[in-house]
Amino acid sequence: MVSLIQSLVKLHLERLAAEDVKLDDFAPRVMEKARAIQQKYSPFITLDENLGSTNRNAQKLPFSVKDNICTNGLRTTAGSRILENYIPPFDATCVRQVKSAGGFVIGKTAMDEFGFGTFSTNCAYGAPKNPIDIQRVCGGSSGGAACVTAAADFPHIAIAQSTGGSITAPAAFTGTVGLTPTYGRVSRWGLIDYANSMDKIGVIGRCTYDAAFGFSLIAGHDPLDATSLNAPKLDYTKVLEKDIRHLRIGVPSEYFNADGVDPQVKKLVWDKITSLERFGATYEEISLPSTKYATAAYYLIALSEASTNLAKFCGLRYGIQGETEGNYENYFSSIRERGFGEEAKRRIVLGTYARMSGYRDAYYIKALKVRAKIIGEFRKAFDRVGAIATPSMPIFAPRFDEVAGLTPVQQYAMDIMTTAPNLAGLPTVSVPAGESGGLPAGVQFIGDYENEGTLLQLAAACEV
Amino acid sequence: MSVMIGIEVHCQLNTASKLFCNSSSDHRGKMPNECTCPICLGFPGSKPVVNKRAIELGMMIALALKCKIAEKMFFSRKTYFYPDMSKNYQITQYEAPLAERGLFTLGENKIRIRRVHIEEDPARLIHVGGDITSAKYVLIDYNRSGIPLAEIVTEPDFTAPKEVRAFLEKMVNVLEHLGAYDSGKEATLRVDANISTDGGERVEVKNITGFENVEKALNYEIIRQSSMKRSGNVVVRETRHFDADTNTTKSLRKKEYEEDYGYIFDPDLPSVTISRAWLESVASSMPELPDQRIERFVRQYSIDEYTAMVIVYSDKRLADFFEECCARYNKPPTVSNWIVNYLLKSLNWRSERISQSKARPETFVELLQLIDEGKITDRFAKELIKEYVDTGISPRTLAQKEIVALSEKDLDEIIVKVLQANANAVEEYRNGKKESLQFLIGKVLSETRKQGNPKKIKDLIVKLMPR
Repeated sequence: MVSLIQSLVKLHLERLAAEDVKLDDFAPRVMEKARAIQQKYSPFITLDENLGSTNRNAQKLPFSVKDNICTNGLRTTAGSRILENYIPPFDATCVRQVKSAGGFVIGKTAMDEFGFGTFSTNCAYGAPKNPIDIQRVCGGSSGGAACVTAAADFPHIAIAQSTGGSITAPAAFTGTVGLTPTYGRVSRWGLIDYANSMDKIGVIGRCTYDAAFGFSLIAGHDPLDATSLNAPKLDYTKVLEKDIRHLRIGVPSEYFNADGVDPQVKKLVWDKITSLERFGATYEEISLPSTKYATAAYYLIALSEASTNLAKFCGLRYGIQGETEGNYENYFSSIRERGFGEEAKRRIVLGTYARMSGYRDAYYIKALKVRAKIIGEFRKAFDRVGAIATPSMPIFAPRFDEVAGLTPVQQYAMDIMTTAPNLAGLPTVSVPAGESGGLPAGVQFIGDYENEGTLLQLAAACEV
Repeated sequence: MSVMIGIEVHCQLNTASKLFCNSSSDHRGKMPNECTCPICLGFPGSKPVVNKRAIELGMMIALALKCKIAEKMFFSRKTYFYPDMSKNYQITQYEAPLAERGLFTLGENKIRIRRVHIEEDPARLIHVGGDITSAKYVLIDYNRSGIPLAEIVTEPDFTAPKEVRAFLEKMVNVLEHLGAYDSGKEATLRVDANISTDGGERVEVKNITGFENVEKALNYEIIRQSSMKRSGNVVVRETRHFDADTNTTKSLRKKEYEEDYGYIFDPDLPSVTISRAWLESVASSMPELPDQRIERFVRQYSIDEYTAMVIVYSDKRLADFFEECCARYNKPPTVSNWIVNYLLKSLNWRSERISQSKARPETFVELLQLIDEGKITDRFAKELIKEYVDTGISPRTLAQKEIVALSEKDLDEIIVKVLQANANAVEEYRNGKKESLQFLIGKVLSETRKQGNPKKIKDLIVKLMPR
């Protein structure tokens, strides 16, 4: 299926192949544009100011990298003050792969601290603004990644990351394409952990081609990550050429009828699903009854894991340093008090509580059981259908002041579309489903394990 | 007074690399923090990958302790803030350990094994300018961080400190036979002991190294707890530290209950499935255990069971030494006799283990060969062995100067001298008193400092006797 959306990446690669493009000052020109975008929308925490001075020939395709993914020699803060001076001594596997394919990293993109947020407003270094309307949020936690992608007038692919919907949410809010791969499909080596059993590195692109191209570079087995899948490397841009005839799409009623789903979002998503009949796809309503427990289970598991992951940031080996007074416990507390933002502290406390004696069985262990049940329901559904379609987000991109008025629980409830597939480790893609009042809505397709190909074909069909 | 003791033994496993990374687990002769990498230092973004060999060594230990081995095991995170852990959590095992419910026979006693699990060793803290409570500052050496440990937990089946010590000695012997633990590698074996007296609260004494110290720490605790009760105080549940300088225990912190570590499954490490086939291949590659070895020694070398037990139980390396000697000198009973009665004595006198000693099988057997060749007497060999164990110089070389000094001519002179000095005895012998010849031989030997073949000396005496 040929997309109607022009891919700057594809154009650039074709011109490179035809030797129509000179790379001599390509990187500096890209950096100039990136700085202009930074001025307007603040999507970056760190821009690589040294670009253009070294290894000129290899600098063929610009990438941005979410700031919780380690880049050798380039500051990596995971969006947190506590890591404000952290410069990793190694590249994440995905960064190494991008670089060896001729890509270069223009900068590190803004995010909710450690991934803790749905709107990219829990940011230690300033929130990125939505290029569609700067009064509105980009979505989170990969907000900076989606922001650059939407704003870039140069070929660019964003390496993003999702734990519970952090690629889908910003892709939907900015009108970009976000691919969240199957858990384990992309190595997590070099990713600063939020919730290791759910963290997935993925991509955000201006269009499906870009997402497919970027994903092809970073997918694959990695012996450095014990949870990495041993699946073959594929060129997913080739997969896009296949059509979706005879594909059965499941439409789960629980996702459309949940509380708080904007009727306009619902309409746009339904219209998009029905439009796919043109290509020979069919759809049927399905039921995923455990969905209502997914968000609670997600937060219990994710925060239990997060509270252990963040323990290392105490000012001893990792994290900012401070005056040593009192014993080590006093010192660790003073560093953590100063270095972590409010949401990080909230999540550490919640996660610690959920795994403590007396609560562990009722929360952490119970959530693991819910997770197993949700996985079972999806498996059963995929016996019948080839993909599942839902809204990406229940709402359009909200304004900053609207987000500020939400309680934490109201914010967490915004994740209802994304927590279940992320708990199950299933791949998803979010692709624009149309606009209302100038604001994009996203449709999310959930695929069976390792079936990113079908998702990308569906996304491509949505672009026609 | 009734005493209940249960212990946890932490044994560094003899693997080439650490439990979750490729850093070397042998840091002999290395600088502090030389054997480290982003994984064992817990760098943000690093991930652990389990070392299969460590699990296999753990499986062997579990088999030797007659434990039930899990079909599926998980690693868990034990979270607590302490400066010896770069991540502030330790990767260990909690609800799904490698093995459970085993049994270890210790003479008449049967000690139940609660569980065997695998975990990572924390870094080593070096307290500078004092001990754990008084140091001015602390240095951290991460060479130890991430070395695989097997933790062996017993039920509280010990009733006396000396039983614990006997258990540990026998256990180490088993571990060394399995190749799971190598005492020569500066690998350490640390013990946490839980002790309660007269049904009181249990007190944990943590991080004791050395079997003798374990016994001392427990003896101290028994006295401390009973004197507290006598003076009307209550023994509280707490964690204590053993101070090897004063042979006492000191209170560290009130005991945190196990569940307070907030265990979760380590999400970086998939569950490990122990298939039947894997278990069988590990079981079939199990090295011989001490009891099997004793049986074989009796069978193969025709030595008595007691001698075999002394050799095997005292030290795995000593049993290796014995076998290597037998390969070079084919009179096993002689070898075992010399090892048990003389070599061990010299080693004990120097407080050395065979692995630390300069004694080597190839040189040790020279001693026995020299006796056979008539070059030295048994009695001289028994003296020579001390010098040999002290210096490691080959017995042939040690005896050489004496042998050279005892050339035929020298011996002739000594004998002539002895005969002249003992004219009475010569006279008696001539008159048919055979015992006098033995007397003269003794005199010659005392002149030669017990060197020379008595038979040869006897012949020479007869030859040189004045007619």
